[in-house]
Amino acid sequence: MTSRLAFRILLALVAFAVLARIPVGFDVGFKFDAALAVIWAFGLLSLVLLTGYVGQISLCQATFAGVGAYGAGMMVSSLHADYAVAVIAGVAAAFVLGVLVGLPALRLRGITLAIVTLGIALVFERYVFQDHAFEWFTGGSGGWRIDHATLFGLQMDSSTHLMGAYVVLLGLFLAVALLMVNLHDSGAGRRFRAIRDSEVAATTMGVNLTRYKLLAFGMSAAIAGLGGAFYPLVAGSVSPQPFWLFTSLQFAAIAVLMGVRYVPAAALGGVFMAVVPDVLTRFGHGTFMGHAYEISYDWFQIAVGVLLIVQLIVLPDGVWGDLRSRAARIWSAAAFLGARRVKVA
Amino acid sequence: MTEFAAYTIIGLSLGGIFSLAALGIVLIYRTTGVLNFAHGAMGMFSTFVAWQVFYGVSHPFWPAWLATLLAVIAGLTFAAVMGLVLELAVFRWVRTREPVVKAVITIGVLLALQSAASLIWKNNQYHLPLYLAPQTATIQVADVPIGANYIVIVVAALGLAFGLGAFLRYTSFGRAMRAVSDSPTSASLWGVPVNRVSAVSWMLGSLVAALAGILITPFINFDTTSLTLLIIDALAAALIGGLVSLPLTVLGGFLLGLLETYPTIWIQSLGFPRLVSLLVILVVLIVRNPRGFAVAAK
Repeated sequence: MTSRLAFRILLALVAFAVLARIPVGFDVGFKFDAALAVIWAFGLLSLVLLTGYVGQISLCQATFAGVGAYGAGMMVSSLHADYAVAVIAGVAAAFVLGVLVGLPALRLRGITLAIVTLGIALVFERYVFQDHAFEWFTGGSGGWRIDHATLFGLQMDSSTHLMGAYVVLLGLFLAVALLMVNLHDSGAGRRFRAIRDSEVAATTMGVNLTRYKLLAFGMSAAIAGLGGAFYPLVAGSVSPQPFWLFTSLQFAAIAVLMGVRYVPAAALGGVFMAVVPDVLTRFGHGTFMGHAYEISYDWFQIAVGVLLIVQLIVLPDGVWGDLRSRAARIWSAAAFLGARRVKVA
Repeated sequence: MTEFAAYTIIGLSLGGIFSLAALGIVLIYRTTGVLNFAHGAMGMFSTFVAWQVFYGVSHPFWPAWLATLLAVIAGLTFAAVMGLVLELAVFRWVRTREPVVKAVITIGVLLALQSAASLIWKNNQYHLPLYLAPQTATIQVADVPIGANYIVIVVAALGLAFGLGAFLRYTSFGRAMRAVSDSPTSASLWGVPVNRVSAVSWMLGSLVAALAGILITPFINFDTTSLTLLIIDALAAALIGGLVSLPLTVLGGFLLGLLETYPTIWIQSLGFPRLVSLLVILVVLIVRNPRGFAVAAK
C-alpha cells in the first residue's frame, strides 16, 4: 500500500508541475478561467465526497462555496485579517453550515433531501446573500472588494498576480484530492460507503450514523467553502450571482455527468464548467454563410442539461467512470488477443 | 382589521398560485413516480409560448377574446407536445431506474428549458394579460373587493384538485395510470398499454403546468427564472399534501400563501418568504414524515 501511496503522491506532483505551467502564456481572461476552474473543481469534489462516497444528495453546494467566499471576504475587509486566517474562517463557516444542513439529513434520504437542500440554496440566494439584515456578512449590495493578498510568499490579486492565486489553489486542490483518494479505502471511507449502500446495514455493523453523516456534510461543505474562500481574491470582489441556485444545480448536474464517484472527474468537470462557457462567448460569434450568429452562455447550460439526460440514460456511471471501465475492458481484451504471455494487471 | 383582511386576501391569492403549481407536481408524481423539479420550467416555457402568440402572432385589430383564446390554445398545445416529447425521448428510457435518478434527470430538463427560454426571451420582465374573466369585475367580500380573475384561479385549483382526483380514482384510465407508476412490469402483465398510459400522464402533467402558468401570469410580472423557481413553494405545498392528496395540496398551497404573506406586515424583505417555505418543508418532512414518503425516499 505504501508504494501505491507514493505513486499517487508522485502523480499529484507531476500533475502540479504540468498544470501550473499551462495558463502561463495566456491572457488574464484565461488565467481567470484557470483559477475559476479550480474553484469549481472544489465544488464538484465536495459532491464526490457527499454523493459519490456517502450517497447523500445535495443541491446547495454553491451555497457552501458562497458562505466560504463571504466569510473570507468579511474577515479581510471588515476585520482586516490575514488572507490565510480569512480562508480558514471561510472554511470553518462553511463546515458549520454543512453540519447544520446535515441535521435534517439524519431523517431524510434521496428525493426529500434534494427538496430540502434546494430550499436552502434558494433561501441563501434570495435572503441571506441579499437582505439588509445580513450586511455584516455580505458587505451590502456591492459585496466585499479584495485588492491583493500574500500567501506562502506568493503575491496574489485579480489581475497581474492571478497566477499566484491559481498556483496556490491548484496546490490545495491536489492535496485535498489526494486526501480524498486515500479516504476512499480508509476506515472512515469504508464507513461512508457502508452508509451509501445501506444505512440500516451500516448501523447494524456499528457505524455511528449521526456522527458520520454530519461529518460527511461538514467535510463536504468545507471543501466547497475552501474553493469559494478564494473567489473574492480571484474575482476581485464577491457577489451573490456566482453562488445562486443555478450554480448549485450545475454542480449537481456536472458532477453526475462526469462521474460522481471519481475524484479525477471533479477536476475534469471544473475545467468544463469554467473554460467552455468562456471559450463559447469569446469565439462563438461571427458570420456563417452570410448569417451573423452568437453563441451565448445560455447554450452552455442547455448543453449541460441535455448531456446530463443523455449520460444518465447511456452512461450511468458518468463520463469518467464509464469510459474508464470501457478502456479497461478494451485493454484487457487487446492484451488477451495480442499475446497470451502478457500478464493482465 | 381591514389591513389584516387585505393581507389575508393577498395571501390567499398567492396561495391560489402555489396550489395550481403544486397540483401538477402531485399529478406527475402519482402517475409516473417522477418528482418533477422541472415542473416550474415546463409551465414557464409554455407560458412564454402563449406570450409569444399573444403579442407576436395576433393582429392588434383582433378582439381581445380572440387573441386570448389563440394564446391559451397555443400554450396548451405546446405543453401537450412537450410532455409527449419528454416521455418519448427521456422518461421512457429510465422507467425502471431509481426515483433519485429520475429526479436528477428532471434537473437536467430544468437547466435546458430554463436556458433555452432565457436564450429566446432574454432576462426581461414580462406581463401577459390573459384575462379569462372581465378584467375589472370585482366581488365584495367583507368590504374587500376581490377580482373576478382571482376567483377563476381558486375555482380552477379546486376544480382541478377534485376533478383530477376523481379521474385517477374512478376511471379505468386513471387506475391504469396509477398502476403504471406503481409497477410498469405488473401493469403490462395485466394488459395495460404502459407506453401509451405514460405518454398521456406526461401530457396531462405538462398541460396542468401550462394551465397554472397561464392562469397565474395576469397577476404577476414574470421572467424566465421567477416561474422556474416557483417550484420550491409548489413543492412545499405538494409536501403538505403528502405528494399524494390533491385536495390537501390545494389546502397546503393556501396555507403556505398565508404563512408567507402575514410576516410581510412586520418584515419588509423580498427574500424572507423563501425562508418560510423552507421552514414549512422542514416541518412537514421531519414532524409528519407520512407513509407517502416511503416511496419518495427510496
